[in-house]
Amino acid sequence: MRLVLALLACCAGPAVAQERAEVIRDVVGNHVLPRYAALDEAAQDLDAAAQADCEPESPALREAYGEAFDAWIAASHLRFGPSEVEDRAYALAFWPDPRGDTPGALRALILEEDPVVGTAEGFAEVSIAARGFYGMEFMLYDEEFAGLGAEGYRCDLIRAQARDIALIAGAMQEEWTGGYADLMLRPGGDRYRSEADVIQEFYDALGAGLEFTADSRLARPMGEFDDPKPARAEARRSGRSLRHVRISLASLHDLAERLMPEGVVHDHLGAAFDRAETLAARLDDPVFAGVSDPTGRFRVEALKGAVDRISAVGNEELGAALGVAAGFNASDGD
Amino acid sequence: MKHLTLAAATMAAGALPALAQDASAVIDTYADIAEAGYADSHAAAEALAQAVDALIASPSEGTLATARSAWLDSRVPYMQTEVFRFGNPIVDDWEGQVNSWPLDEGLIDYVDPSYGGPTDENEAAVVNVIAHPTFTLSGEEVDASEITPELLTGTLQQAAGVEANVATGYHAVEFLLWGQDLNGNGPGMGDRPWTDFAPGAECTGGNCERRADYLKAATDLLVQDLAWMAGQWGEGGAAREAVAADPAAGLTAMLTGMGSLSYGELAGERMRLGLMLNDPEEEHDCFSDNTHVSHFYDGVGIRNVYLGTYTRPDGSTVSGPSLADLVAAKDPALDAEMRAKLDASVAALGAMKAAAEGGLAYDMMLDRGNAEGERLIMAGVDGLVDQTRSIERVVAALAVGGVTIEGSDSLDAPEAVFE
Repeated sequence: MRLVLALLACCAGPAVAQERAEVIRDVVGNHVLPRYAALDEAAQDLDAAAQADCEPESPALREAYGEAFDAWIAASHLRFGPSEVEDRAYALAFWPDPRGDTPGALRALILEEDPVVGTAEGFAEVSIAARGFYGMEFMLYDEEFAGLGAEGYRCDLIRAQARDIALIAGAMQEEWTGGYADLMLRPGGDRYRSEADVIQEFYDALGAGLEFTADSRLARPMGEFDDPKPARAEARRSGRSLRHVRISLASLHDLAERLMPEGVVHDHLGAAFDRAETLAARLDDPVFAGVSDPTGRFRVEALKGAVDRISAVGNEELGAALGVAAGFNASDGD
Repeated sequence: MKHLTLAAATMAAGALPALAQDASAVIDTYADIAEAGYADSHAAAEALAQAVDALIASPSEGTLATARSAWLDSRVPYMQTEVFRFGNPIVDDWEGQVNSWPLDEGLIDYVDPSYGGPTDENEAAVVNVIAHPTFTLSGEEVDASEITPELLTGTLQQAAGVEANVATGYHAVEFLLWGQDLNGNGPGMGDRPWTDFAPGAECTGGNCERRADYLKAATDLLVQDLAWMAGQWGEGGAAREAVAADPAAGLTAMLTGMGSLSYGELAGERMRLGLMLNDPEEEHDCFSDNTHVSHFYDGVGIRNVYLGTYTRPDGSTVSGPSLADLVAAKDPALDAEMRAKLDASVAALGAMKAAAEGGLAYDMMLDRGNAEGERLIMAGVDGLVDQTRSIERVVAALAVGGVTIEGSDSLDAPEAVFE
């Protein structure tokens, strides 16, 4: 098996610089840039909707929020470069939250009527737990926060969250188009010394995205068989838990296709993705409430197994085929 | 946990005998450093246990101060062993009972009302075992009339499947010696009075004898656990055998530990996240305000593994053939780069430690808008992230010449690789 992998590494993958450059052009141009552009557009719409109407139940606001959140989930595995400047990605998406930091930080702001929400610069200094899509979900969908403190302050807070999301998305878009894409397309500097470094970045992003979906989105609400934890499901208040799994799988599948456009590894990966996406499409359990009964749990577990299977193919075959080693990512550790 | 595999197909076939031989010597050094580090941690824990016995026998301002000081000393060798966690399943599976963090300390003892009650995630967040000889956990009645090591490990540790229910280890002992730090992002650490351990009418906080029983049980467990781990790295120990059996797997464990601790764990989870949350409890040693020391020695431990040298508390050193030697033989420029990056991050963590010792405690650095604190912490984070890139290059460099590198589950499930 190992010898077969070594063979793949030498002959089937984009080992030649020219092929690697082509893969990089395709991933940057057709995977990364469209996703950050879409996020920017949706985030500006969300900001406009919140400034027009900050009522949590406003259909226009909720629709804009949902579209911007979708756009983020589709880009959220691309955690390098502009997303890692300052606290951007962390501030857009602080989750999981095992210690309840998000409701705690929001409660503190609201009860103290902290004037920090008054300016964008001020709000950018606030705990990441109160910012971004997950903090905003509490403000739009959680019962406690619908009535906590003064209505006027809650409105200011929602507007500050939406403006903050829009500013972060705008800054990332600007840096992607204003230089970072070129850094990846023409490696040779200190950040990316060669095409191999760029391919490594994409490979790590694929692995990290799969790991996050399996371990955080699926395994956390599963808990233990005799102690399921449905309250841990991601974005359950807005009913988006399964939706996020599906969006992320589709986005990761797109990345994998571009990294390995043909050949036996492409086929293996494609089959593994198809299996997971089919299970997700059939699940019909939007917030994984089913983890509490044996049948429902089995279905979520099967989906997790299918996502793990994609990771295994990625680890065992794709890395060798691309000629890269596994790297480290932010979720290493405990 | 990340698994890297330096799968040495050609190495096993004899194509690289020199590397394989060198690697064995490098791995011996690695295991020697682990053995010495855990032995030193065990000795320091024994000193702590003696100080705890003295505190319980005759509680006073002085005996409490001595016990706190012994706890602080014990962190220096232990934090240098953290680099052995990731990559060695035997350490990673064990570590939770020794150094779990963060914890919901209301499980153990009284807390301030501002701490709050049970949460969505943790129904046991305010059980307060010390005050309650019986209580209900996951629907079952628990008999805690005697506070024993078995109660801590068997019932309380990770009660209800919640990781924040930490009943044992350094941080449980730390909480009992210092108490909650109620100063927020302001100056000051936990300020538990010595009378929390006083018998009879002098007792404050209630249940002083049960509190002493808890402290004694947790400290004794720590001593036992560290003795056990030192044994795993001794001659014939399972941890030593595991890395020695296959040089490629051994090198993998070393590099996995360095990279995972640098990036995901220390730079990410412990430093950057706390900064972004502005939460004074987001510091590793939050009761004693000792976080700067813990982070610094994590960084030193990472460098120890690369350079193949460890300085013991008595000033003597354990050293031998190193990863640095292997890398220098293949690519001297990369070795120089790796050394420079490790030195830079240790220096950045050292600057953060010096500032804390100068009065800017770690929890003050975390405060919203504390630009100097943010700069100090981020310099450490940046150094650690930067050195991770060089560690990845080292992984790649050692793979040149027919050794395949792959990420896989092969450390946990070696058979999976051959499917």
